Amino acid sequence: MSTQKPERLELLQGTLDLLILRTLIFGPEHGQGIARAIQQTSGNELLVEHGALYPALQRLEARGWIGAEWGTSTNNRKARFYTLTKAGRKQLVEETTQWRRLAVAIGRVLGPESEES
Amino acid sequence: MRTPDDFREEIRAHVDLEADRLREQGLSPEEARAAARRSFGNVTAAEERYYESRRWVWLNLLAQDLRFGLRMLKRNPGSSLVAVLTLALGIGANTAIFSLLNVVMLRHLPVRQPDQLVLFGKAEWGGSANELPDRNWQLFSYPGYRDFQRRNKVFSDVAAIDSILLTTHGRVASAENLEKVSVELVSGTFFQTLGVEAAIGRTLTDADDAHPGAHPIAVANYAWWERRLGKAPSVLGTAVTIGKTTYSIVGVTPPQFFGAIVGQSPDLWIPLSMEKEVSPAWNGLDQDLFQSLYLLARRKPGVSIEQASANVNVVFQQMARAYAGTAASPEVLESISHAHVELTPAATGLSHFRRQLTGPLVILMSIVALVLLIACANVANLLLARSASRQREIAVRMSIGAGRQRVIQQLLMESGLLGLAGAALSAPVAWGLLRLLLSMSSAPVALHVAPDLRVFVFALALTVLTVLLFGTVPALRATRLDLPASLRAGPGVTGGPARNRLARGLIAGQVALSLALLAGAGLLLHNLINLTNVNTGFDKRNVLLTGIDSAGAGYHEDVRLENMMERVEERVAALPGIQGAGFALSVFNGGGWTDSIVVPGQPALQHDVTHNIVGAHYLEAMSMPLVLGRYLTARDDRGSQKVAVINETMARTFFPGMSPVGRTFSIGKQPDWQSLQVVGVVRDAKYMGLQEKQQAAAFYPHAQHWSMVNNFVVRSNRDPKLVIPEIRRAIADVDPKLPIADFTTLEQVVGRSLANSRLVAQLSSAFGALAALLASIGIYGVMSYSITRRTNEFGVRMALGARRADVQWMVLQETLRLVLVGLAVGLMLALILNRVMASILFGLGPADPLAIGLPVALMVVVAIFSGWIPARRATLIDPTVALRYE
Repeated sequence: MSTQKPERLELLQGTLDLLILRTLIFGPEHGQGIARAIQQTSGNELLVEHGALYPALQRLEARGWIGAEWGTSTNNRKARFYTLTKAGRKQLVEETTQWRRLAVAIGRVLGPESEES
Repeated sequence: MRTPDDFREEIRAHVDLEADRLREQGLSPEEARAAARRSFGNVTAAEERYYESRRWVWLNLLAQDLRFGLRMLKRNPGSSLVAVLTLALGIGANTAIFSLLNVVMLRHLPVRQPDQLVLFGKAEWGGSANELPDRNWQLFSYPGYRDFQRRNKVFSDVAAIDSILLTTHGRVASAENLEKVSVELVSGTFFQTLGVEAAIGRTLTDADDAHPGAHPIAVANYAWWERRLGKAPSVLGTAVTIGKTTYSIVGVTPPQFFGAIVGQSPDLWIPLSMEKEVSPAWNGLDQDLFQSLYLLARRKPGVSIEQASANVNVVFQQMARAYAGTAASPEVLESISHAHVELTPAATGLSHFRRQLTGPLVILMSIVALVLLIACANVANLLLARSASRQREIAVRMSIGAGRQRVIQQLLMESGLLGLAGAALSAPVAWGLLRLLLSMSSAPVALHVAPDLRVFVFALALTVLTVLLFGTVPALRATRLDLPASLRAGPGVTGGPARNRLARGLIAGQVALSLALLAGAGLLLHNLINLTNVNTGFDKRNVLLTGIDSAGAGYHEDVRLENMMERVEERVAALPGIQGAGFALSVFNGGGWTDSIVVPGQPALQHDVTHNIVGAHYLEAMSMPLVLGRYLTARDDRGSQKVAVINETMARTFFPGMSPVGRTFSIGKQPDWQSLQVVGVVRDAKYMGLQEKQQAAAFYPHAQHWSMVNNFVVRSNRDPKLVIPEIRRAIADVDPKLPIADFTTLEQVVGRSLANSRLVAQLSSAFGALAALLASIGIYGVMSYSITRRTNEFGVRMALGARRADVQWMVLQETLRLVLVGLAVGLMLALILNRVMASILFGLGPADPLAIGLPVALMVVVAIFSGWIPARRATLIDPTVALRYE
């Protein structure tokens, strides 16, 4: 698949967790919905590997940052819905701050955009 | 917990939702479905990843390994059985020795905070000391105990225990006959110091120990209450009459408590205030220098041993000076200044036999550890051979995707199974060996050896260690493969030089360790034979021994006692076939009275003499030959000059260059023991043990001292079975109430004194033989394997004209090379081991050529034999068959 759209960005290690938490802030969502939301909001720049998505969900659930429940989707399909827990919300704030600081720091190191491109 | 099905469901939902979306975008249902599947990727892989992320997957894999391991073990039942048995013997032997070591050296008393307990001195001496303290002191008088109790600032409690367990006879409740009762006299503070509460009734208090003779009460040992009274609930108030006093039982100790002295479990605890009543012959509550007690104390919280020691020694010096009196000479004060008390931690209780058994146990423990090591080497070799023949299987598994870690895990599981089976089977081995140990050693019957948590943990840790030891290297070896080469090779052909080197190294190591063990055993056996041949100085044949408890029958040290003793000696001597009969304070190996003497006109010699109070014909009964003067006779009585017969060493030490006959000496200051005249000299003998260095000794007639001495010796050349009842009847004729103990022979007593030497010698020989056996199994296994592997080569050699003898010699040579390397290393180990043993066991001589040479010869024979069988098999190979082999 990656051969079809080679220009897509690879997800950095650990960022998938943050994106999942961020996506769930708008309410419960199932796995497919989460993957699609990340893809769409990133302007189709990020492709979520499903092989990575479910272990990530598994991991987040085990840590108590998200909860899960079987429910029915908009088009009447049974799906497992994930919700953000209180701890997850806290974690999201923390990770977001950290990520922003990291992004700014890396931006400084790389210098102004114009010079690069 | 989420099931894998639940997860599969979720993925299906995902794919369906994706397909729905694509269909909305205008794809046909089939296309949408296929695209959705494609975009999800490998569903099975996702499921697997999910599955493996779960924790209990481990358990599943473990169960899988377990099943597989069991199958593999079952496929080689013979070698698996050998491995399991080898391990069972190794682990069992270690557990058994450790159990005993645990009880003797490690186990804490079942009391409150045992770490706070300290002992004054080391409790190595027993009995009474009546000189002024002048060195590291261990025994204390009752006034001394009270002084320490009153004046120390570091203990919350101090307790005193009589250093001798009094075995007397008493009447329990309304029983008709006197029965044996062992009594431990203790201070009223004993139970309180230990922190032991009564299971029934109460224990003793300090108030029970206030006035001499005024507290006829006793605390019963739980074991005695169970054995003698059948756990009768009405135990409180039960009367036990000993001598003329009747004691009332006020309480029973808890079941796990056996006393403070390991291996000495009395029936009753009676307050020290009753010392004179329980032991009319041996007491001195009011005497500063009747030092017969062990002192045990509980440190106050936060007080270190050093602080306690400082305080105790200040008090002790003041006490000793006070005992010496104001008129003490400077010499006396100088010798007192050397007196001190060494406080030792007493969490494990005190023990007389700890010192005797510690050396032998440490040696046995090291020996069985080495045997286990040899066993491990054997099993490792077995696994190496097995994994080599499974190389193709392992190569196949690894090439179709099994991780190396996974294969190692699986191989270790097989080792673990072997170890576990070995450990399970080791329990009966350990139990049997422990019984054997206890029956062979000098350990008292009252030693309570029950496996506890420590032993269990030890056995478990040992098993794990063993498994890792023998399992790791073969597993690592087996999985380090050149895959293509292994797959190409046929089954059975492999094993690079590395595997071979390892196997051979293990064999050489086994030979070395076995030789060291055998040589050690040889030394111990040689030592034992030497001891058995020691000249005892008396004739141990045809002598019967018993004990007559006059105190239990209510006698006191007076003329009535003396008359009874003389009449017993006369009546027994008058029986047919009796060459001599007499009482004695001590006979052999039963402790004794050691004291210094004063010879007029000579400077005080710091030289102890072993004193014995005996019947007029005791020396004849023992056949101690007379060298000079005369034996004691019945005419040496209360009215005549006090006399003594001394031995040659005493004559040489105290009366050098002169005839000692007619000379006098004195013991201490008691009027009874002044101006003792030497009337004869007897040949030197052993008195307390075969290993003792020659003691100066003297014998005194009891007719002149009216002493309560209980050992009774009879020399008779008639059948003991007939004589013993006659002796019993003769004694009963004098006084039917006299309790008479069971009879033994002097030969048995001498034999028992060697119990520990015999134990170590025999067990180390047995373990040495076991080691040699294991080593020979190892040699046999490795050589047979190597021959199977080289069948092809031998076939070629023989086809090219090698004779059978050449092939046989070639194979045998290989074995010999290994054995020679092993022997060289083993010789060095043996020399080191001997030196270590000599430093632990007293009286062990240096390594002699025989004790080393014999094991070397034995090892060579064993090695050649176990290498010869496979070598012979190599010659039976038919070249035509061998070349077609595989």
